[in-house]
Amino acid sequence: MGIYIKGRNSLDPDAEKFIAQAGITNNTQKSAINKLVLDTKGYGIWTKMKAIYPMVGGTAFSHKWNLKTPIDTNESYTLVFSGGWTHSATGAKPNGTNGYADTFLVSNTMALNSIHASFYSRTNFTDNNYKINLGYLRTTPDSFSDIALDWNGVSVFRLNNGGVYTSVSSGGNNQGFYTVSRTASNVIRAFKNGNIILNATDASNVTANNRSFYIGAGNNNGTPQYYTPNECAFASLGDGLTNTEAANFYTAVQVFNTTLGRQV
Amino acid sequence: MTYVGLLTIAEKDSLLGQLYAPDSYFNPIQDIDDNWIISTEEMEFCVNPEFQWVKTLPLIEYIPKPSPFHSVE
Repeated sequence: MGIYIKGRNSLDPDAEKFIAQAGITNNTQKSAINKLVLDTKGYGIWTKMKAIYPMVGGTAFSHKWNLKTPIDTNESYTLVFSGGWTHSATGAKPNGTNGYADTFLVSNTMALNSIHASFYSRTNFTDNNYKINLGYLRTTPDSFSDIALDWNGVSVFRLNNGGVYTSVSSGGNNQGFYTVSRTASNVIRAFKNGNIILNATDASNVTANNRSFYIGAGNNNGTPQYYTPNECAFASLGDGLTNTEAANFYTAVQVFNTTLGRQV
Repeated sequence: MTYVGLLTIAEKDSLLGQLYAPDSYFNPIQDIDDNWIISTEEMEFCVNPEFQWVKTLPLIEYIPKPSPFHSVE
């Protein structure tokens, strides 16, 4: 799905803006970004996105940009990396010790019962510690939103949850594209590679107006905690996605990462 | 086994809010014994001329503070 004018390379204007800001000069990367934008628009999910982090270009500078709004401000959800990260052509890898990135995006930017988060993990890592790939935790009133892969053999997916959650078996491998989507007060689903792996009725509680999502760790009442070493090759935050939209989103992201030679 | 660089309190204070590389901030944290530490990535990748001293910090084994999970299933 895309637009190509014979005899002339024509970039989508949103893709072009991102490419310019992120300093992307590699033609394969440019083509992958352009197709990602065209595909998400074609699938009707571009407008549902608040932040898209393609993690392309191989440096902290190129990885920090939000594809939706590539302006270097906190208000545009440009990432700020802290601690130990390894940036490369395959993505952004936190060290699992003190590496995290602040999105500056808080959950009340989305509706209580229409919100999604996604994380493309290129690392298969398991231990007995709770590790948050993307999320925040706030107590009093309780609001928990996170993707936490492979904690004692289960993964946890929450969005604006109160204290109750439903875990799902990690299946022995936590590489893949994970999406969690809340579309009602009692509907929260998680997907791995576009396939539904969790269909739960955990109740939403409240959004958090003062806790931004972190990547590489959770924002635990204002302090980074639960660091993870999973390499991130894509992440997003936005409105809730239907099952079909989640499947199409995976298709678009997998094409993107396959073009870059870093798919899992 | 993970190793980290051991900081004094004064060194920790000097790193707060500072970049070790473009678009990458230091993040000193405490280990299980309340030592202040930074990661070997920050030490190795530091290109800020003001903080090249982090490359020669003494290394200690990293034991994290416990992070219990809090919600109910």
